[in-house]
Amino acid sequence: MAAEICREEAAKSMPAAAAGATAIARRRRRVEGFRFAAGSLEPPQEDADAGVARCGKRQRVAGARAGAGAATAGPCRPSAGAEFGSRWWPRYGVTSVFGRRREMEDAVSIRPDFLRGSTSSGKHHFFGVFDGHGCSHVARMCQDRMHELVVDAYKKAVSGKEAAAAAPAWKDVMEKGFARMDDEATIWAKSRTGGEPACRCELQTPARCDHVGSTAVVAVVGPNRVVVANSGDSRAVLCRAGVPVPLSVDHKPDRPDELERIKAAGGRVIYWDGARVLGVLAMSRAIGDGYLKPYVTSEPEVTVTERADDDECLILASDGLWDVVTNEMACEVVRACFRSNGPPSPPGCSRPKAVLPPPAGASGGGGGDAVVKGVDKAESDKACADAALLLAKLAIARRSADNVSVVVVDLRRPVP
Amino acid sequence: MEQQEEVPPPPAGLGLTAEEYAQVRATVEAHHRYAVGPGQCSSLLAQRIHAPPAAVWAVVRRFDCPQVYKHFIRSCVLRPDPHHDDNGNDLRPGRLREVSVISGLPASTSTERLDLLDDAHRVFGFTITGGEHRLRNYRSVTTVSQLDEICTLVLESYIVDVPDGNTEDDTRLFADTVIRLNLQKLKSVSEANANAAAAAAAPPPPPPAAAE
Repeated sequence: MAAEICREEAAKSMPAAAAGATAIARRRRRVEGFRFAAGSLEPPQEDADAGVARCGKRQRVAGARAGAGAATAGPCRPSAGAEFGSRWWPRYGVTSVFGRRREMEDAVSIRPDFLRGSTSSGKHHFFGVFDGHGCSHVARMCQDRMHELVVDAYKKAVSGKEAAAAAPAWKDVMEKGFARMDDEATIWAKSRTGGEPACRCELQTPARCDHVGSTAVVAVVGPNRVVVANSGDSRAVLCRAGVPVPLSVDHKPDRPDELERIKAAGGRVIYWDGARVLGVLAMSRAIGDGYLKPYVTSEPEVTVTERADDDECLILASDGLWDVVTNEMACEVVRACFRSNGPPSPPGCSRPKAVLPPPAGASGGGGGDAVVKGVDKAESDKACADAALLLAKLAIARRSADNVSVVVVDLRRPVP
Repeated sequence: MEQQEEVPPPPAGLGLTAEEYAQVRATVEAHHRYAVGPGQCSSLLAQRIHAPPAAVWAVVRRFDCPQVYKHFIRSCVLRPDPHHDDNGNDLRPGRLREVSVISGLPASTSTERLDLLDDAHRVFGFTITGGEHRLRNYRSVTTVSQLDEICTLVLESYIVDVPDGNTEDDTRLFADTVIRLNLQKLKSVSEANANAAAAAAAPPPPPPAAAE
């Protein structure tokens, strides 16, 4: 059955992507209602379009810029009472699918305007992809807590400084946030309280869960820069003028500098179904995994990238995507979806409600264990949602052996 | 000194004193020796546990439930015994278990056959007969020996093929890492069980003291 789905998906995905590119090359006019030109391709899947709402004709607002535009009157006005219905809502799409893994151990956290209330100029949005291994609870802890720990670290960094002068050392903020997240995972592994979510590790007596861990790739998107902190082998890629710019480098144990660090700490890397620390773990950095410290550290690598006018998108994804899709192809898929959806709407416009596939449930399908937390799926941007979904489908079609989680963030400046 | 020359020193890396090794040498000779051929490797690991041997053995012998003291196990299911359908839970040599491994490791399943379950001498042995992993012809023996009234020594040894593309050192590092982690967990579990049993056996403190 799974093999059939993959073959069917391959048959659907590849011609569609190729034909889509061809069709897009022939048309400049934006086509509404379809991800690709009507008539040139097979009809779009019904569920993909179900529930898509329109704001009416899209309006262009003269002089509007990201973070500075006024709300637009008319049908595009944000709904009253929307908690985050401010002048700039992040345009993002997100998808998580099982792939060929037996259980869902990925978790995604999206926290719009997560620094509100802090001394920060402009709105900052938090995006995190956490790919768990051994069990899902470390990834879920990251999903629930990482953004809060980054906020704490940020507030400490800017306390005592004037707002105008506050340009915190993001590297330090992220390193502190990750270190505390790792501490919390360790504490949980040693002495969980009754109120913590149950997982399979808890069934063991006494519970000893230090063989569970998670990757963590986190992006903070502000008005002027994108900060990425990464620990593990998930990845963040910026698409700038059609060219992929990696904002993180995978922590594989045979990366030369990681290999040297592990050896210096007294560990070893052997090739046992790929390069593994002590032959066991296929990544050299992770949150948790207490039993492999100090060889497997949680210290993130942090990049700070100034935003530019030709920035197109940011893609965060687990290795379920990157193992089978190149940075170049991922950027191309997103660009194709952006072209077929037209330019970004000016700020202040309510987002059309695109329907994502329902997030894959955690093992047991329990409520409250959503794979994506922090936002409602209806708030995502259609172009980004299409892109995330298409990337996930492409990974499945290419027989990714893992859970696949993808976040796409639109970084384009609205047309003034 | 001359007398000691007759007694071989404990194997390097085992972490045992000469005195301790002398106590378990007969067990090592009887259960932890292998005829290692070309393309194979073998290893022996030891773990001291502050718990009575009976408490440790009660955990080790659970062929049906290895996740009690082994890491990395997602689930374990005994295969039905076609020859003795009267008691499906009866553990006897020849029984097979299907182990499912947690994610992130270089294995997903392991089929294992119970070879030895000697309650009198506390000897447990199993062979890996199949599954998705790289440990071919893996055979293991675990023994539980008494060091003194409250201290137990667990020895676990194995022999396994060296996979293509790896060295003996690689193979030993991987297997020893997993076994060492399991033995540490066995120590935690056994000591916790022994402490719980001791607490249950102890008389409750007098009420006036509790009130204070």
